[in-house]
Amino acid sequence: MRLELKELNYKYPGSVGDVFRQLNCQVTEPGFHALFGPSGVGKTTLAKVIAGDIRGFGGEINLQRIHQILYTYNLERIPGWYCIREHLESITPESNRQRLQDLVDSFGLQPCLNSRFSQLSLGQQNRTNLARYLLQDFDLLIMDESLANVDEITKEKIILKIKALFPQRCFLYISHNVVEVSKFCKQILVLRSHHKAPQAVSLQGQDFNGQRVLKEKDLEQSMLEIVNAS
Amino acid sequence: MLHRRVYQFLIIYFTGLAALMLMKYSLHLSDYTIPGVTEIWTTCRRYFALYLMAVLNTLCVAILGHLLSICMATIVGIIGRLTIWIGSFIRVAAYNIQAYPIVAVAPIIFILLGDGLSSRLLIAAMICYFPLLLSFIGILSEPVKEIEHFFESTRRMNWGLQVKIRAFENIHKLITVIVGSATLAMVGTIVAEFIAANAGIGYSIRIALYQSDLAKILVALFLIGICTSIYLVFLEWLGWFIKKRFGTI
Repeated sequence: MRLELKELNYKYPGSVGDVFRQLNCQVTEPGFHALFGPSGVGKTTLAKVIAGDIRGFGGEINLQRIHQILYTYNLERIPGWYCIREHLESITPESNRQRLQDLVDSFGLQPCLNSRFSQLSLGQQNRTNLARYLLQDFDLLIMDESLANVDEITKEKIILKIKALFPQRCFLYISHNVVEVSKFCKQILVLRSHHKAPQAVSLQGQDFNGQRVLKEKDLEQSMLEIVNAS
Repeated sequence: MLHRRVYQFLIIYFTGLAALMLMKYSLHLSDYTIPGVTEIWTTCRRYFALYLMAVLNTLCVAILGHLLSICMATIVGIIGRLTIWIGSFIRVAAYNIQAYPIVAVAPIIFILLGDGLSSRLLIAAMICYFPLLLSFIGILSEPVKEIEHFFESTRRMNWGLQVKIRAFENIHKLITVIVGSATLAMVGTIVAEFIAANAGIGYSIRIALYQSDLAKILVALFLIGICTSIYLVFLEWLGWFIKKRFGTI
């Protein structure tokens, strides 16, 4: 499994400045990876470029054994005529039916199933949205602030569940939280302003999966590297 | 809801009537120009049943015309939401054609179709069609990205689902414009009957006008106001029921 961006250039039509200039980066193995960087640096744009939602960029995107890319962001909503249960059942492919109940339990969605989306809290909405993407067939899932408004304990539980359920899939987790990125992610792509070269820096995270003891010193070291790189 | 609308109408109607009486007595106008209260009351008692049937006749045509225009606006709105050339063509055409006054086209309709039900229906539908169409096109061509994104990413999106999402997300606007256009449907039908028809309250008003009988016209206006208020209240109730049924209120 490989995602490689080679000399990527992009600027929004009508805008003056580039978003990406000769951007190079790669992810070479499955796992829970992160796309990190300050606000406005182009994380969402890069996610949309990778997902195919934005075209007209320069450079190359090489994919190996990645056929289905999904991109989800935290403002998505579910149609109001469905309750959560009806929607999840209607969009779950037959092959992933068994995963449905498992995700509902681990994401803490059981109390929400008979509610409509608008009746949920922001955290519940984000969890529901992420769960429905995880019920799809995908090779790479880009999660753009998908766990915003979710408390730390539930967030950890969800990330560990994702890592346990999908060891052979690739995730690109966009977050501003340096602690969770350092702790849970395997590879961290730090995106920087196009004035800096290189525009993307790759770092190793602690890739915590709940089965080993995480050394505080190692975590601090990772966090320091990320902050220094960004 | 009903009593509030009827109260509002009664206040406006009787204020207008009081203004007429004030004018009559302050300017010493004859009963021929503005009839007295007694004459209006006598006319009301004599023509109430006849005019009520005429208003109900008009209301039926207005409702049919309104339904017809909603169907047409939905169909054209669905085509007009497309991003290909036909959608663009329909959007531009709708904006241009709606600028043309339907009343000016009405004589052509009467020449071609005569003064029967079809002409009244068509004119009623045309008069409330364009405001509906512009709103429908605007609503149906505006993507609801935060809902549609999932269905597009997972290749589940089809035209029916897209229309359903956009209509549902804008149900408040749709209901408001449908209720608003109901008045136009009533106005359109009366105008059509007034220009050339052989039934309906517009036709009765035309006869009263030729007779210079303001009392009959005032009775007709009273019944039109009451019946239109009831129809609007029914539509508002229907809108409230739909919103409640789908949990948007």
